Amino acid sequence: MDPNLIFIVAAFAIVWGALLAYLISLRARGA
Amino acid sequence: MTETTISRGMPFWVPRIRSWLGIAAAASFVVASVMALFWAPTDAVQGDVYRILYVHVPLAWLAYLAFVVVFLASVGWLWTRNALFDAIAVASAEIGVLFTGLFLVAGSIWAKPTWGVWWTWEPRLVTTAIMFVMYVGYLLLRGLSTDFSRRATRAAVFGIVAVIDVPIVHLSVLWANSLHQLPTVLRASGSPALDSSMLLTLMVSLFAYTLIYAYFMSARVSLEVARQERLWTRT
Repeated sequence: MDPNLIFIVAAFAIVWGALLAYLISLRARGA
Repeated sequence: MTETTISRGMPFWVPRIRSWLGIAAAASFVVASVMALFWAPTDAVQGDVYRILYVHVPLAWLAYLAFVVVFLASVGWLWTRNALFDAIAVASAEIGVLFTGLFLVAGSIWAKPTWGVWWTWEPRLVTTAIMFVMYVGYLLLRGLSTDFSRRATRAAVFGIVAVIDVPIVHLSVLWANSLHQLPTVLRASGSPALDSSMLLTLMVSLFAYTLIYAYFMSARVSLEVARQERLWTRT
């Protein structure tokens, strides 16, 4: 297993999570 | 506010294509993520951690695009006084700030195992941080006035001046000694300097994030146009 796996998971999770959060905020604002 | 001198309105086709845009963005996002995490080969030098660049680089390019769109829309507002341009500018600035923040975070997470530090005061990182702060400032500036025309005009002037940081960010690695790597794809000296399957993955990721940007834009511009309509209804 790659020793830097935690960094890869963290980076993708943060980016995906933020994009999802922004999408939800757009929906919540009425888009 | 002089309503008679300001034209407005959303092009009729934007809401119609939004759901298709969302489906295309979601599908290409899944494909790009699978390619980035599983299909692209492991880098000979960096190992698997370089896969972070498949989100970092597209977000960086889209942040550049977002701020160029702010610039163009700002010119459009000053030129035509069509309120749609102001809606496009604020939408693109908001999404650009989101993307810039995310590519800074993703870059920082990549830098720790690669460079040994989360952050260093080198030209690319500093100019990017300045770009982030400038566009946060752009959004804050819009809160200073309740008069639509005054707010849109001030923001447009700021949006035109601030775009100067975009080429500075991109070229900073060429102008000064930098820890950040030089451009790999958009090189003045020739073709992209990376493996063809890595390049394909990067291009698919770039395409997917561009569709996400377009989808976000269509939704955010619609919200802003609706807000403008409420403003004009009240006054």
